[in-house]
Amino acid sequence: MARDQRKPGFLQAAGAVFWAFFGVRKRRQGEADAVGLSPVQVIVAGLVGAALFVLALLLVVRLLVNS
Amino acid sequence: MEAVHHLDHGHEHHPAGIMRWVTTTNHKDIGTLYLWFSFAMFMVGGVMALVIRAELFQPGLQIVQPEFFNQMTTLHGLIMVFGAIMPAFVGFANWQIPMMIGAPDMAFPRMNNWSFWLLPPAALLLVISLFVPGGAAAAGWTLYPPLTVQMGMGMDLTIFAVHILGMSSIMGSINIVTTVLNLRAPGMTLMKMPLFVWTWLITAYLLIAVMPVLAGAVTMTLTDRHFGTHFFNAAGGGDPVLFQHIFWFFGHPEVYIIILPGFGVVSQIIPAFSRKPLFGYASMVYATASIAILSFIVWAHHMYTVGMPVAGQLFFMFATMLIAVPTGVKVFNWLATMWKGSLTFEAPMLFALGFIFLFTTGGLTGIVLSIVPLDVQVHDTYYVVAHFHYTMVAGALFSAFGAVYFWLPKWTGKMYDEKLGKLHFWLSFIFFNLTFFVQHFLGLAGMPRRIPDYALQFAEFNAISSVGAFGFGLTQLLFFYIVLKCIRSGEKAPARPWEGADTLEWTLPSPAPYHSFETPPVVK
Repeated sequence: MARDQRKPGFLQAAGAVFWAFFGVRKRRQGEADAVGLSPVQVIVAGLVGAALFVLALLLVVRLLVNS
Repeated sequence: MEAVHHLDHGHEHHPAGIMRWVTTTNHKDIGTLYLWFSFAMFMVGGVMALVIRAELFQPGLQIVQPEFFNQMTTLHGLIMVFGAIMPAFVGFANWQIPMMIGAPDMAFPRMNNWSFWLLPPAALLLVISLFVPGGAAAAGWTLYPPLTVQMGMGMDLTIFAVHILGMSSIMGSINIVTTVLNLRAPGMTLMKMPLFVWTWLITAYLLIAVMPVLAGAVTMTLTDRHFGTHFFNAAGGGDPVLFQHIFWFFGHPEVYIIILPGFGVVSQIIPAFSRKPLFGYASMVYATASIAILSFIVWAHHMYTVGMPVAGQLFFMFATMLIAVPTGVKVFNWLATMWKGSLTFEAPMLFALGFIFLFTTGGLTGIVLSIVPLDVQVHDTYYVVAHFHYTMVAGALFSAFGAVYFWLPKWTGKMYDEKLGKLHFWLSFIFFNLTFFVQHFLGLAGMPRRIPDYALQFAEFNAISSVGAFGFGLTQLLFFYIVLKCIRSGEKAPARPWEGADTLEWTLPSPAPYHSFETPPVVK
């Protein structure tokens, strides 16, 4: 993969994972994901997404417990 | 290498009689073995359930001793989860995945044979444990210490059985992952795979991730029992609650391991009988992946009452509630698939609809249970028993029945009796609700689970529940008869008996030939 394509690839993977957490994806974008993203990108983005999700939940809990 | 030179494709060159089944490396044979094994275990676990319900028919102790009652609840859970439901779905995977992706067989056929043949000895260990001094494990299927540290040798047999079952699951999963990633027909991209294959791919990853965790937990129990360690023994500086964390880190993904292939089955049946493509295919794939990831961060909602900081309770409560979002997306997509479709209601569709209706009910009570202050009230009551039977029986089991009726024509080349299939559904549906719906009320009123006796005010609902359970059990004999009748004297099935079914297996003749897709089909 050419170097200049990496950044959009990462953003696309982040977008795919964001929508995956919600469980909804537009057909056109889903097809673009299938063509443009490698499984490794999606898995890495998924693990990062899960970590961010846990951190966000912990933040909410902290705010609630401290208030 | 000589084995690969048998190019005599036109003939079925396998040993006859019992050796065919012992030595088989054919995915269809192994699928059949898994399915018959799981049905046998379903009957064994079912009889144990009926012992439980017979004892609970009336208050007081009538039929069994409390010790034996505890062994029944434990073995019923272990056998149904590890012996019946999981092997049933591995059986469907073995039969269907190669045919659905255009592969000639599973990637590791000999390992596939071993994965299956590990199961009977494990099941035997569980059943034999009933007859050893001290009886079978009686700590509940969750195997919590300190009970597990104190029990007799039945506990050791159970630990070894769990080890063997775990090995079988891990090998089966490696096989499925490798098959799906490497043996797809040309043109069958990941996002063209049938949803059943997708759900199994994700389930296989879950299994590989969590089965070693369970193996670790029971191994620590074993060393606590015999080798002087104190992982879970508070008197030796250990912590029994540690076991609960480890167990449920396995246990919660495990419930999704059980239900995700069921989602896959329903996602094949609903479009076929709606004569429409599945609504939101990509969303379904994403939602499945999302549920799988979330399933790892919700485990402690099973243990709110053992003591945990408020911050922990809030974290697990929020995470658990959020898992309802991708699950809700799936239910919405199934309903949207049916919207304005040309619906017909053959037995597979009835079971799929029953699944949606009852699984959603079970999901709803799951959200109720995720709420900490409410869970503290109903923890370890019949409300929880009702909840997980709505997801495990009406969820996993109903989807398994749907799968059998859906694919039986492909497997046997014959049609089942549609009238009897429908009767099987309606009897199952009615008796299931008779058994388990009333248990919500028992739980809300405070009846504890896993206790052979109860206070007088619970008598009516328990009697209703027991009648329902015996009805449900007898109904499954009808299922056995329907399958036998189909195999022996069913009408000849066409290659594609369901006009809305469009996946690759329906391009093969019925019954599917012993070796299929030796030349891969090209998928456009």
